[in-house]
Amino acid sequence: MKAVFTFSLMTLRMLFRRRTLWGILLVILLALAGIASVPSFDVSNQGRFILDFGLFGIEVGALLLALGLAATLFPRDRETRTLMPLIAVPLARWQYLLGRFMGAALVQAAALLVTCLGLMLILLFHRLPIPGDLLPATLLIIIEGWFLLSTVFFFSFFTSPPLNWPLTTMLFIVSQMSVAEFVGIMPSAPGLMRTIRMILPHADVFHIKDPIAHGFEIEPVYFLIAIFYGLCYSAFMLSLALAVFRGRDLK
Amino acid sequence: MADVHPLQVVNLSKQFPRKKRLGSVQAVANISFNVRQGEIVGFIGHNGAGKTTTIKCILGLLKLTNGRISLWDDVPAHPNVRKRIGYIPENPDYDDSFHPMEYLRMFASMRGLADVNSEWMKLLKRVGLTGWETTRIRQFSKGMRQRMSLALALQSNPDLLIMDEPTGGLDPIARKEFREIILEENKRGASVFLSSHILSDVETICDRAVILSGGKLMAEGSMTDLLGEEHLYRITVISRKTGEEVEETIPEADLQSRIDSIRKDNLPIVKVEMALKSLEDVFMAATGGEKQ
Repeated sequence: MKAVFTFSLMTLRMLFRRRTLWGILLVILLALAGIASVPSFDVSNQGRFILDFGLFGIEVGALLLALGLAATLFPRDRETRTLMPLIAVPLARWQYLLGRFMGAALVQAAALLVTCLGLMLILLFHRLPIPGDLLPATLLIIIEGWFLLSTVFFFSFFTSPPLNWPLTTMLFIVSQMSVAEFVGIMPSAPGLMRTIRMILPHADVFHIKDPIAHGFEIEPVYFLIAIFYGLCYSAFMLSLALAVFRGRDLK
Repeated sequence: MADVHPLQVVNLSKQFPRKKRLGSVQAVANISFNVRQGEIVGFIGHNGAGKTTTIKCILGLLKLTNGRISLWDDVPAHPNVRKRIGYIPENPDYDDSFHPMEYLRMFASMRGLADVNSEWMKLLKRVGLTGWETTRIRQFSKGMRQRMSLALALQSNPDLLIMDEPTGGLDPIARKEFREIILEENKRGASVFLSSHILSDVETICDRAVILSGGKLMAEGSMTDLLGEEHLYRITVISRKTGEEVEETIPEADLQSRIDSIRKDNLPIVKVEMALKSLEDVFMAATGGEKQ
């Protein structure tokens, strides 16, 4: 595992040195500032408005970070041939995959925590209370981000980055849909659509922005179940990615 | 007990599917050879002969269509086997936001080696990168990237060095330095598998050569076998008819009788010299001089 940790640190350093991370982070923070500057007609609703849209902004940020950080990692390593000396000698393929994923996941988590901090500062600026569940809600978005990251990794082993973006975004949208909404896409085959929806990820478990915005308390066990589900689904996607990667010739 | 070779390739074949599923391309067809302990083996062939494909198969980067590859009687993917290999890829590249010391430290950690700063400084000095230890790789020339690649390959004191065109694009001085390092490593006990276009390099430092053409093994043997043990001599005389210099190559055994016969004919001998068969002659003969 030492090799994996070292390689993840190498990935972390590499991603921090790339402009993509800072560009995406700036876009998310500007979007949050934009949301906060929209005047609310009802002053009592302003906190709810900022929280609701702010958490939504962080969630979209998780998708952008997953795509921006990971969609080009493997294709770029292959094109620039940086992959060859790594895979040929010190690293096995699973170590490469896990190392790159862990590095990108840490960078993504750090960036999302910064956006959460940004949201807190905006609330403080408006002299609004910071809900206790804001940090746990961000944690769930980080877990969702990791799931998206694993999806991006999976697609990156057999598609190009321009194709990876729409595929991951599509899965992101589908994962937010309820069973009824999904069946509505093809009402003629409800059984099939229900089965497909069962298999596809349920990212709605990570969304607690509405209860937080409305001041409802979330049970700790819910957090644990959602985290467990997210980590399991990420591991599943990474296993699929590894299966594809193992079968690939590295020309 | 049979000798355990550092590298053994048996009936290796590799096919690549064509685009749009229109059949397949045979990159390497049924080749067998080995690298014995302490040997330097040259791997030569024209562009597209299948050298890099073979090396990538050896390193587990490509799946074999057929055949078997073993490194010290083990599968190439085995972690213990990989630890014993040093690899220099063709046209090596690295993440250019890093510098050589960072790379050496990370590779050391990934290889389970102790991170000894002074050792890495010595290694960079050995490959000619003194003064560049903390310079970002983006500022490196092609030759410097190759030197960096050599440093990473030598870091673990490998038992087998696999080099894919390590001196391609290097200036003559750098090529000489590379050759010297390869010989030093061989003296230390490392076996070397050297793929190269530069036949003079292979001829100078290799014990044996494997010649590939069109994915097929055309010749294999020790340098002595390939170049021939028999010494040839070239006699230059002035032709009586044309007055021009005429060259004649004859085996050593016939040299004295031929000189006697020329003297008898009163032909002026300009010079008598050893005619060395070069690896290029062997290569051209083995591949039919074809360019593919």
